[in-house]
Amino acid sequence: MIKKIMIINLMLNIALYAEAQTENIYERTCLPCHHYLPSSLGDIYMRYLKTFSGEETFKASLKAFLKEPLEQTSVMSNLFIDRFSVKDKSLLNDKQLEEAIDIYWDLYNVRNKLK
Amino acid sequence: MLVSKNKDINLLRSSEKSSLLRFLSLYAVLAIMILLLLGIFYYKSQEELMFSNKRIELSNYANEQVKELKLLHHYFPSRTEYPRSYNFESAIYDIERVKIFSTLKNSDINFDKEIYRRGDTIHFVKYLDDYYLGAKYLFLEVKEDKEWYAKTITNIIILGLLTLIIMAIFGLVFVKILLRPMRNSIRLLDNFIKDTTHELNTPISAILANIEMMDTDVMIDKNKKKLHRINIAAKTVSHLYQDLTFLTLNHNQQSKNEWIDLKKLFEDRVEYFTILAGSKKLTFYLNLNYSAIYMDVVKVTRVIDNLISNAIKYNKRSGTITIILRKEYFIIKDSGIGIEASKVSAIFERYSRFNSSEGGFGIGLNIVKSIIDEYNLKISVESILGEGTDIRVDFSKSSMGRGDSK
Repeated sequence: MIKKIMIINLMLNIALYAEAQTENIYERTCLPCHHYLPSSLGDIYMRYLKTFSGEETFKASLKAFLKEPLEQTSVMSNLFIDRFSVKDKSLLNDKQLEEAIDIYWDLYNVRNKLK
Repeated sequence: MLVSKNKDINLLRSSEKSSLLRFLSLYAVLAIMILLLLGIFYYKSQEELMFSNKRIELSNYANEQVKELKLLHHYFPSRTEYPRSYNFESAIYDIERVKIFSTLKNSDINFDKEIYRRGDTIHFVKYLDDYYLGAKYLFLEVKEDKEWYAKTITNIIILGLLTLIIMAIFGLVFVKILLRPMRNSIRLLDNFIKDTTHELNTPISAILANIEMMDTDVMIDKNKKKLHRINIAAKTVSHLYQDLTFLTLNHNQQSKNEWIDLKKLFEDRVEYFTILAGSKKLTFYLNLNYSAIYMDVVKVTRVIDNLISNAIKYNKRSGTITIILRKEYFIIKDSGIGIEASKVSAIFERYSRFNSSEGGFGIGLNIVKSIIDEYNLKISVESILGEGTDIRVDFSKSSMGRGDSK
């Protein structure tokens, strides 16, 4: 019986590890925390878009904020910041950050959705 | 057949004409440039007026579109349909001037002008403060109402033509004012010659008639020589008289054209000038084929007389004069002083002479040219300074020569 449980546990672990490996960096590092926030990543994307407009500006501003989050540079409302405070510094390196931001940009890009 | 003559005496010499032409060209260029500039200014002002009218309308459309964009931004991505209107087409571009979405028919856009024309459309740009959907630039496109354009172009053409006519009238007045002293001086000279000519008629006729009547057989040689000299002098004056009469009195009459035997005419005129040529010991060489021309005999005689007279006048002592007559042309060639190449074109001008050492008024070749032009003949001059001058008259086209072609 114990042997069976161990085999099932092993298989479950392998399955979970495999699933973790198929997730991209954005899904692995961004979604878990934002999942608990009332403002979705889509809403935040639209806030960023309304503030920074172009793709390059958008990405550069977001990257700068993730590396050095400040209340002054946040696009979120004061109410939101008072309640949830400013996020912690990202632990990702530049390359990882850029990769995650690129995925984020492509995911919500309005150009592909307008008709 | 009667050929109408030039009624107006050519008062202007070619140098004066060219000065006048230069002035008129400059005046015309300046007038057209001024009109063009005025036309451009008027066009631009009308365009600006049209833009200012359109700007209000387009600005209202833009505000409506911004509201729609704001709503769409708010509800995005649950709503994704770009706001459209029957009144205009539109496009949105981000801060990096990258297209986000467009329904424009004419995609040739200018980010730096608020309103401008493109083809048949007008584009209006609104710069957004809040970048809804990432849009920094909102372009609106409406079809251009061409009414203002047609009206403006019509006004430019009508006003331009009116101004051009007024400026042309001013130009003509200026030219007349400029020419008045020039015309007066030439008219004075013409009147002087005309008056002098009247006074020459009687004495010349009397001298020539009396010379003809004199019985030279009873004269001693010394007196014969004197009479010979008187004859030469009288014929020279007579030749001048003929020119002046032609210039001042005959010029406005109708031509009486007839077929003229040129060979016979040349022989007659050479005989007439023999005494004159003899005074400079000149020899005539005649190479004449039969040829005929349909012209006024007085005029063709004036042409031949003047050319032979010049060949004598500007020849060297003991020189030669060769006359060649063919079916369609004749050449009078002298062994004289020749003319500088730069002065050849000016020899047909009135009151111009080859050199001031010889007498005359400088009207002979002007008369030749006026007759040549009247009958559409062609005259060409070849001259080498110090060697002589060839003058060729072609009459192949209008006054057809008849005779042997050799």
